[in-house]
Amino acid sequence: MALNPLTLRKLRRFRSIKSGYWSFLILAGLVVLSLGGELLVNNRPLVIRYEGRWFFPTYGANLPGTTFGYDYGYETDYRALAARFHAETAEAKTRTDAPPTARSRNWLVMPLVPFNPNENAAYEGVFKPAPPSWAGGPPGHWLGTDTTGRDIFARLFYGFRITILFALGFTALTYLIGIAVGCLMGYYGGVFDLIVQRAIEIWSNIPFLYIVIILFSVVPATFSIPMRITLLLLVMVLFSWTSMTYYMRTATYREKARDYTAAAVVLGAGPGRIIFYHILPNTISTLVTFMPFTIASAITAVTALDFLGFGLPPPSPSIGELLKQGTQSLTTAPWIVGSAFAALVSILILVTFIGEALREAFDPKKFTTYQ
Amino acid sequence: MHRRFFPHTLSALAAAALLLTACGPKTDSTKPRADSQAPAALSDNTGAAQARAFYAEHPEFFHFKTPADIPADLAWEDGAELPEVGSPAAKKGGTFNTWMQDFPRTLRTVGPDSNGSFRGWILDNVSLGYAHRHPNLTDLREDGFHYLPALADRWALDRETKTVYIHLNPAARWNDGVPITTDDALFSFFFYRSPHIRAPWYNNFYGTKYAGITRFDAHTFALHFHALRPDIYSLALGLSPTPAHFYADFGEDFTERYQWRVAPSTGPYTIARDADIAKGRSITLTRVKDWWARDLKHFRYRFNPDRIRISVIRDSAKAFEAFRKGDLDTYGLGLAEDWYDKLPDTAPEVAKGYIQKIKFYNDTPRPTYGLWMNQATPLLANRDIRLGVQHATNWQLVIDKFARGDWSRMQTTADGYGDFTHPTLRARDYDIDAALAHFAAAGFTRRGPDGILVNAAGQRLSLQLTTGYEHFKDMLTILQEEAIKAGLDLRIEILDGTAAWKKAQEKKHEILFAAFNVGAEMFPRYWETYHSVNAYDVPFIENADGSLAPNPARKPKPQSNNLQSIADPQIDAMIDAYDRSDDLAEMRALAYRLEEALHADASFSPGFVTPFLRHGAWRWLRLPEDGNVKIANSLESSLLFWIEPDLKKETLDARKTGKAFEPAILIFDQYKKD
Repeated sequence: MALNPLTLRKLRRFRSIKSGYWSFLILAGLVVLSLGGELLVNNRPLVIRYEGRWFFPTYGANLPGTTFGYDYGYETDYRALAARFHAETAEAKTRTDAPPTARSRNWLVMPLVPFNPNENAAYEGVFKPAPPSWAGGPPGHWLGTDTTGRDIFARLFYGFRITILFALGFTALTYLIGIAVGCLMGYYGGVFDLIVQRAIEIWSNIPFLYIVIILFSVVPATFSIPMRITLLLLVMVLFSWTSMTYYMRTATYREKARDYTAAAVVLGAGPGRIIFYHILPNTISTLVTFMPFTIASAITAVTALDFLGFGLPPPSPSIGELLKQGTQSLTTAPWIVGSAFAALVSILILVTFIGEALREAFDPKKFTTYQ
Repeated sequence: MHRRFFPHTLSALAAAALLLTACGPKTDSTKPRADSQAPAALSDNTGAAQARAFYAEHPEFFHFKTPADIPADLAWEDGAELPEVGSPAAKKGGTFNTWMQDFPRTLRTVGPDSNGSFRGWILDNVSLGYAHRHPNLTDLREDGFHYLPALADRWALDRETKTVYIHLNPAARWNDGVPITTDDALFSFFFYRSPHIRAPWYNNFYGTKYAGITRFDAHTFALHFHALRPDIYSLALGLSPTPAHFYADFGEDFTERYQWRVAPSTGPYTIARDADIAKGRSITLTRVKDWWARDLKHFRYRFNPDRIRISVIRDSAKAFEAFRKGDLDTYGLGLAEDWYDKLPDTAPEVAKGYIQKIKFYNDTPRPTYGLWMNQATPLLANRDIRLGVQHATNWQLVIDKFARGDWSRMQTTADGYGDFTHPTLRARDYDIDAALAHFAAAGFTRRGPDGILVNAAGQRLSLQLTTGYEHFKDMLTILQEEAIKAGLDLRIEILDGTAAWKKAQEKKHEILFAAFNVGAEMFPRYWETYHSVNAYDVPFIENADGSLAPNPARKPKPQSNNLQSIADPQIDAMIDAYDRSDDLAEMRALAYRLEEALHADASFSPGFVTPFLRHGAWRWLRLPEDGNVKIANSLESSLLFWIEPDLKKETLDARKTGKAFEPAILIFDQYKKD
């Protein structure tokens, strides 16, 4: 698709605003990384060479312990397996006739962070928060563990993935509904506008939090975790699309009065074509500048809901849930709240920088300079 | 935790009582009355007048006789020889500062919203019944527990007529000064059976458990029963009267009208001034001056603080900080995290002896924490699946790693009932091989790609685990991770407490993690939770040969406590025999057989029991030598401790100067079981 030169100029402008551009690159990088998160943060190895056979367990089926000569049928404890292979290598080296390069035929490669966000690791024999490895905690847990011994880095990492995907989905859906309804209101105006506006006013007075609480207390038992997350997303969208309509409505009113719209009407274009081909591209600056802030507010909202206990169903990793744990053990395990807070603030800062830069780049008053 | 109200807290029925002073029952009006000078201004529509009409309507229940009708050969008991409770060293005075999470929604002790945690402070912990079970002597006599006198000064049992005679202490007063008489005892049976209180449980309890009440004189009455059960004394003596003079405006609008009125109680504490209720912030109780029972043998060392101030602190972490600051005198350290990490023995306040750490092992019926599996759901109807779930549930790991070895495993459905708890039955251990064998027997033989078992039809072995206890969510994820090893997928569903309970009451759960909060009763109950009438509308149909078969069209019965949907004619028969029996030995044998049958049925996976109470307490809060009573369920429930204002000053000064005292880690393990 060929971009119109004006848009290209705006994008160039965006690139020239360093804080926003770099924030965008970092955030985009993080999102891409998190999509392949199983390769980076996982208790399953990337590759296993065992008795001459190759295994790639990351995305595959569950490999029972019996595959690797253990006597249990549940999923292999790969960290124990790694230790076993390591011991085999050590033993091979100790043989008197062994060449210096001797090693076990079996080996495996663990991901960078060898923990899964849901597994409980005991610290000092019990499930309690372990301090980060650099502060005297057990090795491997860069940010320590939470109150039941789950790795905080792994939970933050997957929590970020769920949150950001949730926020993107939220933004896409609210925009879809908000833009469509807002444009229609602005384009048709009159009685239609009046009625829809009143309807929106009534709708937006329904207390969102209560609805979430009520809804989640009656969700049928058969719903799986992804379905429950989707449901939360839909409920949030249902109560958030309204604010977008106001901006779109006014923008459409304005654009509708311009000559090019009149020209399109004269040329015989239908309302759908006029709204989506002519008016919408001209209101894009409004949309684009709001987007990062919508994302930020979605992240905050889902975090707040988790904090209150009405968000993502357990044991989904989530930043809000960690924050809650952290505030409850502020004195005994400050690293929990520290990590969660730092992560949340970093994400919000990145998103806000992007938003600032976008707003600047798409600002029609081009002579303003970004400080 | 669900605080389901349980009838065993009969002392709980105490606070709201009604004094039938001015207007006695008509049949009785010819006799002079000791208390006839009480308020006379009651109009004809007062609670008392309504009660009189009620008595007249129910002559089969309310009887009026003269002292001459009391059998002469009764063996009266008075419990005077029982050992005292508490410490002679206890001092009266000082203010006890504690906290609650929410401000109470009402000061009523009955009706909607009244069953909150605050009720303990106006009812359960502080009021007197006719006589109390001795809280340390828990062995059973032929007639039940050992009872010590409270409002009654003597009582007697007539086995032939299944009647308990009760004589009230003539000195007994409501804490507003009005004497307590037999008429208040009668009034309870009007009050608690009235639809206006909007408390169906009480309506049912008072309407069905008792066969009648007879008034002899102002201080003597008798309660009649349908059956002579071993707990007949508990049912009779555990009641308490209701103050008729206070319920003058009793009527349909009772719940609103009495929402914030302070009822006179039989106990030593009352809310003395309006200023003592700071709505949303705190409530302060004051000890009644010259309380009538203050010198009675069994009460003189109890109820020591002059004032009890209960502040609202919504966040427990914040309450802990308030405690550490010295604003609260105690804080519950039940959680391992609190006891070991937040307030370790090395914490400066503990090491310097300012704060004492107290661990008290109690011996009382245990809340039934465990997994309640609903047999009315397709998978769990299969006993092999239930057995598999039992073996796939790693409670021991939870106890060892989550509770740091402090809890112990619950073994039966009724632990902590002394002789009534099955002595040898043991809950099933976590055993992956056994679980897999049982699941295989149910057709789940193959592991799917995610490690979860699948049957021939491709169905995954996946069950919903519902709970209303948000604070146990991490513990459930431990069970979940462990169950995966046995090929079982537990989908955890955390609901709001009320919603979870509603779901279970409608029998829409597959597995519920919950506990019934049981009181210190004599023997466990089985009818509510295991009888088939509480499982289905029409549980069985009769075969041609007269035997019973499950009714294929039966529907789960909502609003009942048979959460496992157990319907077994043999269990029913045992429960019926158990509930009819008047012989302790026979009941005990039946209880053992019932436990064995329930163990075999395998739809309750017993979880854990917490065999102790743990608290932190500032140095000025002193405990008796034995710490607390054997059946204590909280530090506050028996109110044996006392406050020493001098020590408080000394401790606070020492904290400023850094002076240290001997550290106090108090362990009371005289009631500990191995």
